[in-house]
Amino acid sequence: MQIDPVTLQILHNHAQAAADSMAYTLFRTAHSTFVKETEDFTSGLTTPDGMTFASPRELGATWFIGLDYGNAIRMIKDYRPGDVCITNDPYSGYVCTHPPDLHMWKPIFWEGEIVAFAVGHIHNTDIGGAVPASLSRALTEVHQEGIRIPPAKIIREGVMDETLLQVMLTNVRMPEQNWGDLKAQIASMTTGERKVHEMIRKFGVETFRQGVKDLLDLGERQARALIASIPDGDYFFADYLDEDAPGGVPVRLALNLQIRGDEAILDFSGSDPQLQSSLNVPTGGAERHILLMVGYNYCLYTLDPTMPLNGGITRPARCIVPEGTILNPKFPAAVGMRSMTCTRLQGVIMGAFQNALPDRLPAGPSGGGAIMNVKTTDNRTGRLLMASIDPVVGGAGGSALGDGTDGSGANNSFLKNTPVEINEVEVPIRILSYGLVPDSGGPGLHRGGLATFLEFRVASPNTVVTARNRDRTRFCSWGADGGKPGNNSSFTRNFDRNDPVDLANTDVVNLDPGDSMRITAGGAGGWGDPTERDPAKVLFDVQQGKVFLESAEREYGVVIRDGAVDAEATAARRAAMRAAPRPTGRFQYNAARVEYEKLWTAANYDALTGLLQRLPVHWRYFVKRRVFERIDRMPAAERRGDGSEVRRAFHVVVGEFPELAPLFAEAAD
Amino acid sequence: MGYRVGVDIGGTFADFCVLDEASGALSTLKVLTTPGEPGREVVAGIGEIEKRFGIAPGAIGYFTHGTTVGINAVIQRKGVRLCLITTERFVDVLEVARLKMPDPYHLFSSRPQPLVTRDRVIPVRERILADGSIDLPIEEASAREALEKARALGAEGIVISLLHSYRNAAHERQIKAWFAEWAPGLPVFCSSDVWPIIREYERTSTAVIHGYVQPLVAKYLASLQASLKRAGVGAEAMVTKSNGGVMSAELGKVACVQMLLSGTAAGVIGAGFVARQAGCDHVMSLDIGGTSADMAIIVDGSPSYGTGETVGEFPIFIPTVSVTSIGEGGGSIARVDGYGRLIVGPESAGSVPGPACYGRGGTRPTVTDAFAACGLIGHGALGYGAVTVDVGKARTAVATLAEPLGRTVEAAAEGVIRVAISGMFKEVSKLASRQGVDPRDFTLLAFGGAGPMVGCWLARELGMRQVLIPTAPGVLSALGGLIADIKNDFIETSYAVLEPASLPELRAAYERLAARATKWVAEEQKFDGTPTLLPSADMRYRGQSFEIEVPLQLDWIREGDIARIAAAFHAEHERLYGHSDTKAPVQTISLRMVVVGAAPQPEFPAQPRADGDPVPAGRITAYLDGAAGEVPLYRRTDLRHGHRFASPCVIVQEDTTTCVPAGFSGTVDAYGNLLLTLDREAV
Repeated sequence: MQIDPVTLQILHNHAQAAADSMAYTLFRTAHSTFVKETEDFTSGLTTPDGMTFASPRELGATWFIGLDYGNAIRMIKDYRPGDVCITNDPYSGYVCTHPPDLHMWKPIFWEGEIVAFAVGHIHNTDIGGAVPASLSRALTEVHQEGIRIPPAKIIREGVMDETLLQVMLTNVRMPEQNWGDLKAQIASMTTGERKVHEMIRKFGVETFRQGVKDLLDLGERQARALIASIPDGDYFFADYLDEDAPGGVPVRLALNLQIRGDEAILDFSGSDPQLQSSLNVPTGGAERHILLMVGYNYCLYTLDPTMPLNGGITRPARCIVPEGTILNPKFPAAVGMRSMTCTRLQGVIMGAFQNALPDRLPAGPSGGGAIMNVKTTDNRTGRLLMASIDPVVGGAGGSALGDGTDGSGANNSFLKNTPVEINEVEVPIRILSYGLVPDSGGPGLHRGGLATFLEFRVASPNTVVTARNRDRTRFCSWGADGGKPGNNSSFTRNFDRNDPVDLANTDVVNLDPGDSMRITAGGAGGWGDPTERDPAKVLFDVQQGKVFLESAEREYGVVIRDGAVDAEATAARRAAMRAAPRPTGRFQYNAARVEYEKLWTAANYDALTGLLQRLPVHWRYFVKRRVFERIDRMPAAERRGDGSEVRRAFHVVVGEFPELAPLFAEAAD
Repeated sequence: MGYRVGVDIGGTFADFCVLDEASGALSTLKVLTTPGEPGREVVAGIGEIEKRFGIAPGAIGYFTHGTTVGINAVIQRKGVRLCLITTERFVDVLEVARLKMPDPYHLFSSRPQPLVTRDRVIPVRERILADGSIDLPIEEASAREALEKARALGAEGIVISLLHSYRNAAHERQIKAWFAEWAPGLPVFCSSDVWPIIREYERTSTAVIHGYVQPLVAKYLASLQASLKRAGVGAEAMVTKSNGGVMSAELGKVACVQMLLSGTAAGVIGAGFVARQAGCDHVMSLDIGGTSADMAIIVDGSPSYGTGETVGEFPIFIPTVSVTSIGEGGGSIARVDGYGRLIVGPESAGSVPGPACYGRGGTRPTVTDAFAACGLIGHGALGYGAVTVDVGKARTAVATLAEPLGRTVEAAAEGVIRVAISGMFKEVSKLASRQGVDPRDFTLLAFGGAGPMVGCWLARELGMRQVLIPTAPGVLSALGGLIADIKNDFIETSYAVLEPASLPELRAAYERLAARATKWVAEEQKFDGTPTLLPSADMRYRGQSFEIEVPLQLDWIREGDIARIAAAFHAEHERLYGHSDTKAPVQTISLRMVVVGAAPQPEFPAQPRADGDPVPAGRITAYLDGAAGEVPLYRRTDLRHGHRFASPCVIVQEDTTTCVPAGFSGTVDAYGNLLLTLDREAV
């Protein structure tokens, strides 16, 4: 029995108010600068089963709409009023997905029964482990990534478990911050509980219970209606991380999006095996694990912004992620840097949906920049300090609706930068330049958004710069429907001297006094044929310095003389461009990817992932790297791109290891 | 003794408030605005005052008004063609802003195009460092080159915003001086003059908005001054400011960035006055018009202040009475979507065509139409006869919702009201959590044309026990301007650790601020009383990335009482965030000084107590809480000091209608304010 639609809309507003109030309470009372600056936290309300039905809209990370707390909730028996539970273990129910995220849930009772849970998480700056801040791509098992707490009651009926608390605080590098933020989280839970009680007093407990179900159902109905409007079919998209470890081979993330009526199957089986680095995404293979659904949520909400942001909208979808792959790693794979993989995965999902709805979604977003941190010493005071200086990100892809936004946009929309003046006052470094990277957006009828860049110089010895999430020096964002890819990212030491060092995807650098750094993100992809772009717009881009004069002519066919469009020369140039052979296909990739995929064709990848899946998980990454080495050494004449060379290489590798052969044979049976 | 006149110019009406200084009597009127010819409505109103109240323009001894010329120029992007001069290699300060998008869930979310596009941002070779030292001196050639480029681009004004100019403004000033010599008459603005705060985007954005509107506002004010003079008003015109104060129109011509949000600020000042009058110390003011619904928090008669309020699509970082938008007002359009949901706003019928019931061509149902369809408004002309309510048109509009909702017209209308209220509830809840306050500790003061219409519903939803309706809710902004103090803010960036070593500089900085403030109020504002100086500091714990403003006392600074200053910070931090750390080092980021030249506060005479019960003017049929019934209709003028009345009821007056659903008891105070108290069991 549904509640009436007017009451439901009112209840919706009240639930939204509760979630927003929780977020504002947490934000207001949190201690760490990290929480205040990056807003890497969430809060919300779930059903007694653990499904999120209300999430804040203005504050916090955008990734956990529809996170299912069920697994963690069920690991605790016997809830009492006043309890608060925590976990930060990625392998206890897959609610937490890397150790710095401390998740928390509190049962909300009404007349002796649980009617909801208040939930939330904070990304702690440090949770212990091998490296400061607990995150590094180089880590190989989760044990190195900090202390892990399985689901446990930190507060029992209002009384703090001091032992558990002290165990946690003893194992982290900045215990006061963790403790301060933990208190803010508890305050947020209490606010959630109070708001739910107020709602129940207003609506009655039965209307509340039913209303929550209806809200999730409403989300599901809207999502189904939207998916039903997408033509049935299979929509494939794949993209890569440049490296699977420092200096490694690419990581492939592949999605076959199957739209069937009002349902969507997200088949990620073509993705790589789990890695010996911390880029793995722990999902436990759950069909609707939230880290697999972030891109889906972005696409659905963009297509219908009246969509309620709750767990109901994920119901029409089902993900396939085989065990032992990067998207469903087995314990104890390291997971700390899963956000880098997740960000690329969002782009893959956007690509598959763009493939299905070319006129309604954007081309590839910018990527590959970094979250920049500096650890250095103040020469005047001798004080050692560590500071997050800026996220270096980029814009959105172009789309049928218009140009991509410059500087930030699409799934790069929630981070804030730090003012140059604040950085220079707080951190003893000199910012040399900051802004947009000219000409970095992919050309198109609608241009891709520009990336940002940052240049700075350090002043003391033993300065360490970390650039978390560095990628896209090899591959690029993708253009769509005739649009071209954006530029690569870059990371250069001493860029302004005569001995510059290209650091590519390096993410930790030790610097000497006087050393300078330049980091750029990659630009976003363009949409549509650039030779159809209005010459006046191209001229304006040139006047604004967003497109170089040469690119206007080379990419857009717009000839500009003395600050004006030369109409005749432009017509001639464009005619010539259109007459020349041009790449076909829905998507356009950069030259490095086109080259790479000549070697690593779809058929070769299908062969490899199929074969690797038949190996025990702990062998897969090892064998993958061996196969890559063999393929690299293979003479061009032997390559057919049909999977046969991969099968040959694979069998040679298996044959080299007598320990492996019987295991493979077993799996084949 | 003479008359004080306050004017507030809104989207549809210009509101006038006239105070007889001798008797304390207040008269009000509204005239239609003349957006095509700003200023004409002011002159029309002056004429109307003479006609209606027999007050000759020459008898007006004090005239203050708020103008929307500046904010409209930003919203409609009709400001002047600007060039922006920045430090070389930092030209993207406006393009990149602070990166975060307004709706990070939406893949197409975008920032507005900057008021100065990238082709008109011109770098100059210079560099000042964080400590104010000059790393690369500005050279004449670079400035000359920049000016040539700006001229070639057809610049009608130039904004100069260089890195760290909040600390050392020498380069900005030098360039401005050269330009004055090379291009006399070209308006040039320095970010360090407009508002010298640290954070380059915030400072630049504020300076750009200033430069964008200044020539227009100055022209408007000059023409207004001339019109007033022609009309025979001898008093020098004053203008209201976003900080809730006033300044002379003459100064407004150069300090126009300070008046952009003066309309909403003046309303809150008016609300603060009424709150003090009614003896309410914790008030949330609710100002609802046709296209906006704004809320502010007023404690002990003083509003809270903030920075980062928005002008059109852009944030502005000067001290401003903090006002939060909680919706789109009476013109919000209701619709039923494809999933059977009843959605109200954010689409608005605006002032044109307006709600269907105004009969100006609107056909889609709005919140105002819902009130009309429930029989709650339309029992007298609104806006002093400027608008009549056509209930039939309201019902026709709402009927389009009734069918898909499977409800009667009245029930659908009530649904619209409830959904609209729950949307406001959501926004107020956020505001309360952000500020760390509980609405239940506050009185809701409802004003604006539509505030009294919805105030009781919102209070009931929020569990607020009291609603206060001022005597003239429709003209509170005009009243606010009339009673506002002369007021200005001064700031210096400090960025020091609060410790004995930094004390001499702290003291010197406050002395500089005090000297500037006193000079401003006495010389530029000709204030002849004793001004009040209110020092404060933006402080934080070292390592935090945000500051809080902490009020200080002059003698703490004079005596070098660091302990008291620190204690004030710890206490404010504790109040706002629920925790503090008395052992942690404290930084002062900005030092502020507010100077106030107090305006004479009107003393309204208490009304004599009326005996007995108020007599309704009639009975009307209204649909409330799910059923139609007869409710009394009062005329506001019949409700006198000491009267008590029960709910439900409807109260009409010239500028608004107050709707009181069941559960409230009403009383009238000595100044004619209505106090509606929610019965305990109705919560």
